[in-house]
Amino acid sequence: MTERILYTLLIGALGVTVGYLAQRSRMCFVAGLRDYILVRDRELLTGLFSFLLTVWVLTSVFYALDLLEQRMPEYGDVQVMTAVEERPAARAAARAAGPSGGPAGLLESLRGARLLQVPGGGGSLRGGGLRALLGRFFWVSVGGGALIGFLAVLAGGCVLRQHVLCAQGNRNALLFILGFYAAAVVFALVLFDRILWFYG
Amino acid sequence: MQRRRTLKPWLFGVIAGSLFVAVEALAGVYPPSAYGFCLTCHARDLAATVLNALFGTNLQTAVIARRMVMITSPAVLLGAWLAARRFGERRVLPSDRPLSYFVLGFAVMITGLVIFGCPTRIVLRAGYGEWYGLVALAGMGVGITAATLLVRWAGRAGIALPRLRVPRSASPGRLARSASALGSADRPGGTVPGRSGEEGS
Repeated sequence: MTERILYTLLIGALGVTVGYLAQRSRMCFVAGLRDYILVRDRELLTGLFSFLLTVWVLTSVFYALDLLEQRMPEYGDVQVMTAVEERPAARAAARAAGPSGGPAGLLESLRGARLLQVPGGGGSLRGGGLRALLGRFFWVSVGGGALIGFLAVLAGGCVLRQHVLCAQGNRNALLFILGFYAAAVVFALVLFDRILWFYG
Repeated sequence: MQRRRTLKPWLFGVIAGSLFVAVEALAGVYPPSAYGFCLTCHARDLAATVLNALFGTNLQTAVIARRMVMITSPAVLLGAWLAARRFGERRVLPSDRPLSYFVLGFAVMITGLVIFGCPTRIVLRAGYGEWYGLVALAGMGVGITAATLLVRWAGRAGIALPRLRVPRSASPGRLARSASALGSADRPGGTVPGRSGEEGS
């Protein structure tokens, strides 16, 4: 119970921080490209790319330090969406067995860092690239990504930006958020199991 | 009057990216991976958690949502509200197209849930080096480009689409420049620096 509250507070604090910063910076993940196409304004695009780059560098570092598991993707792999267990134990074991401490060990793990490679997963770039191409989730990702970009531009901003606009008093964004939550309920009630079955 | 932004977007990218990765790697918000921040997925988990608590149903959530309540989306609203309040940027704009925005929100949510990510998480997953995330990001680029070109074309042809907001956040000088660029973009052969490579209008 305590853990539950602590985690909830953590994610809440994260959300508040991000919302605050997003309001200050007017960050939007789709408006960057849109503004660049329309008026050659690069400012928001730098936000997108710095985000991407930061995540890439940090995950690479954390993979190397064994703080993150290289186990991606896990969609279409119904297991991970539904099953718990075995993960903390496996991680602890991996950490115990892995290169430990000292600059030499650090160097060793850094050398072993593979930026884009994911062992095991069905959709890793090397391991199962071909299989991923044939999977349903691949095509859904392409189409869904295009659709979400399209709709977000029509709505005037990505989901994060809509939250910020709603908090600023924009009633259009408020209605966007209402539709958003209505869809969340519908999805949770009706669609989720079918989607997982479809990908499985 | 438009206030100036006080945080550069690139700095937001660095801070947010660090937070999202750190919350998984250091605080253990896991599995699934790259789940530190996602408005669509977290909103779904929140809805499912609330429904489960209220009606005793057994709706699916992501694994991590069993250990916590995913209040990201309300928290973002709260944070943005605090910032807007503190800097005096709260201003009620009445809705001009309520139904179309409701439908857009609905459609964006369903799409985002089907591909397991809002635009933010798509970029996050791409940054994790995930194949599907990269693919979805590429798809998103195509979609954004298509929609932008469509909206611009519709604007020229005088067809009503949901209004596109011109970047209204930039500093005054930049805003003026943007406005003039937008104006000249409407004229064939407008001379905006860097516009030469684009398709002839």
